[in-house]
Amino acid sequence: MSTTTVGGPRSTGADRTKRWYRARRSLQGASFVLPNFLGFGLLTLGPVVALFYISFTNWNVFGKAKWIGLDNFTRLLGDASFHRALLNTLYYSAFHIPLTLVTSLGLALLLNRKLRGVAFFRTAAFFPYVTSIVAIAIAWNLLFSRDAGPINQILGLFGVDDPPGWTASSTWAMPAVIIVGVWREMGYYMLLFLAGLQTVPPELHEAARIDGANAWARFRNVTLPCLRPTTFFVTVMLTIGSFKVFDLILVMTNGGPGQSTLVLSQYIYQKGLVENRFGYASAISVVLFALCMLVTVVQFVINRRRNA
Amino acid sequence: MRHRHARRTALAVAVTALTLTATACGADEAADSGGPVTLTMSAWSLNSTPEFQKLADGFHQRNPDVKVEFKEYDATNYDTQLTADLAAGSGPDVFAHKTLKNFITYQAGEQLLDVSDVADGLGDKVNGLGNYKVDGVTYSVPYRQDSWYVFYNKDLFAAAGVTPPTEAWTWAEYERTVADLSAGLKTAGSPAKAAYQHVWQSTVQGLALAQTPGADLNSGDYGYYAPYYQRALKQQESGAQVDYGTATTNTLQYQAQFGTQQAATMLMGSWYVATLVAQQKSGAAQSFKWGFAPAPQRDASTKDKPVTFGDPTGLGINAAIDENKVKAAKEFLSYVAGEGGATALASIGITPAALTEQVAKAYFEVQGVPTDELSLFTFNNHDTRPENPVSPQTAALQNILQETHSAIMSGSTPVDEALAKAGARARSEVLESK
Repeated sequence: MSTTTVGGPRSTGADRTKRWYRARRSLQGASFVLPNFLGFGLLTLGPVVALFYISFTNWNVFGKAKWIGLDNFTRLLGDASFHRALLNTLYYSAFHIPLTLVTSLGLALLLNRKLRGVAFFRTAAFFPYVTSIVAIAIAWNLLFSRDAGPINQILGLFGVDDPPGWTASSTWAMPAVIIVGVWREMGYYMLLFLAGLQTVPPELHEAARIDGANAWARFRNVTLPCLRPTTFFVTVMLTIGSFKVFDLILVMTNGGPGQSTLVLSQYIYQKGLVENRFGYASAISVVLFALCMLVTVVQFVINRRRNA
Repeated sequence: MRHRHARRTALAVAVTALTLTATACGADEAADSGGPVTLTMSAWSLNSTPEFQKLADGFHQRNPDVKVEFKEYDATNYDTQLTADLAAGSGPDVFAHKTLKNFITYQAGEQLLDVSDVADGLGDKVNGLGNYKVDGVTYSVPYRQDSWYVFYNKDLFAAAGVTPPTEAWTWAEYERTVADLSAGLKTAGSPAKAAYQHVWQSTVQGLALAQTPGADLNSGDYGYYAPYYQRALKQQESGAQVDYGTATTNTLQYQAQFGTQQAATMLMGSWYVATLVAQQKSGAAQSFKWGFAPAPQRDASTKDKPVTFGDPTGLGINAAIDENKVKAAKEFLSYVAGEGGATALASIGITPAALTEQVAKAYFEVQGVPTDELSLFTFNNHDTRPENPVSPQTAALQNILQETHSAIMSGSTPVDEALAKAGARARSEVLESK
């Protein structure tokens, strides 16, 4: 008995049911992911696309935006305040990134031991990160007070006759902000490093120890290479965070004295929300975005070459 | 077949229901000119700012058919939030201008209705009305007009053995008084300082702009601030007042500086009268005798009408208001800026824009407000000039001048250098840029 099939195999009821189940599973999966995608599209992607468009317009929020091409960007080239804000942002980042990296790694190494009360110290180090930025700024401003602040009083004990004016001085305001920034964030990055340290195989340390490597050699040749993925992630996050610094400076110094701590994010806020020049503010945002992208891409390239 | 028919019917019902719901949502509250009307109005810090409720209640009492409901915004981010609402088409029917410098944004953005007819009916007793006029059209009316005075502690003056201020106080006399107070308070063993100057740029720049003949914020030439800054720096160097750095790093509150007798004099806006009265009543401020005097003048030529500064607080009507509500909104504006609203505000210690005898009487009847001759003279006689003259450039210029203020007062930049730099920045960043 032979059967001939005309026009290819016919789908059976079982096949249809299987396909229906497969489609239903896909739909169920999509329904879980969709709200997140919708939220991202509506609240992140949309505004970002709008930002690029607005940066080419002259828009004060009311009415239609007027297309002015590259005018905002060419004006930025000659804007002394923008240059100042850019330099201040680079100044902040140049010190904040390495200092936070070193202190957070140091803390992680210190608190990665089996010490009594280590959980308390870990919590204490993380605590500034979850404390209100306003409270932090006010408390540190009091500590930095020129005449009555404890910091200058301690410096006086060490024979410093002319202590810094800190936030009231155009020279010392940025170092003061950097100190507070590092203090606030080192606990968070410490946690990331602690997680990274758990991935370092103990047998590597053991082998190095048997080979006679001292603590520094073990750290340099075993711990640091194993921590490379964590270090890379921390550096990228720190870089983006440093370029975007805003709230701490706004509350501590409001960009002053003069323009000594004015940074790009604050300049965007000033032009957009204070002066209602949303086109110009968007152009500055685009520059900040490009800057973050550039530095991050460079970091990715360097990291890839190292790993190659 | 029957099943399909039922599904169609359900669909039709759902569509109809949705359409009806949407129509109902889109339709505004019935506000025919004859019936009851509910106006929405912007406000901030309703718990600590009683003026809004006072005005709403006063108007409702006179016009039982019109009710005013508030849409509260955050006091610090008031303009940002209001701007967002107006841009989205969900702004209140009537909105207040918390700061004069942002008025032009709403006016140029066509968010305000022409209220020239309301302004015409207000007469000449309303201060600050001209600030809301653009190209001959009035877009808002002021209901409140604060002015800056010198608050002084009579007890500390007596303890220091210093003669209290007079109606004709010049800056030279003020400087002498502050020096005498410093010495006298020290001799009397009082820890109080002679003066407190708050960290705001207004404390120096406001009076310099108001009192210097020919001074113009839009000129890009800020040399007229120099004598005022030199005087302020001299006072903080001599120790007569807390220095700027200490005031900013310690986040000093001006209310506490004067209210707890840590300073014998303080330049501050007239709103502080109501604050101090309330704080003395609640115990937040100490109990002592005080009064207020005109801000010191350049010379005696302005002694009859001392020149000071202060911005009005105004109300405008949203250009997108339902046309059936316009009449009620205009009546509300007439009330708040007129004598009725002014008397209501004065009765809670607020300085209204309209100053008449009846208003002054209501103001000085408030328990705790000083009723001495000098305070009465100060309230009734002053030429108040705007701190933020209406111009599209004002907000940007004030930003530059704020940075200049902190640079000078912190001692980071010498006065002349900072003012020259401010002028150069004003010209290149604001005045000459399109």
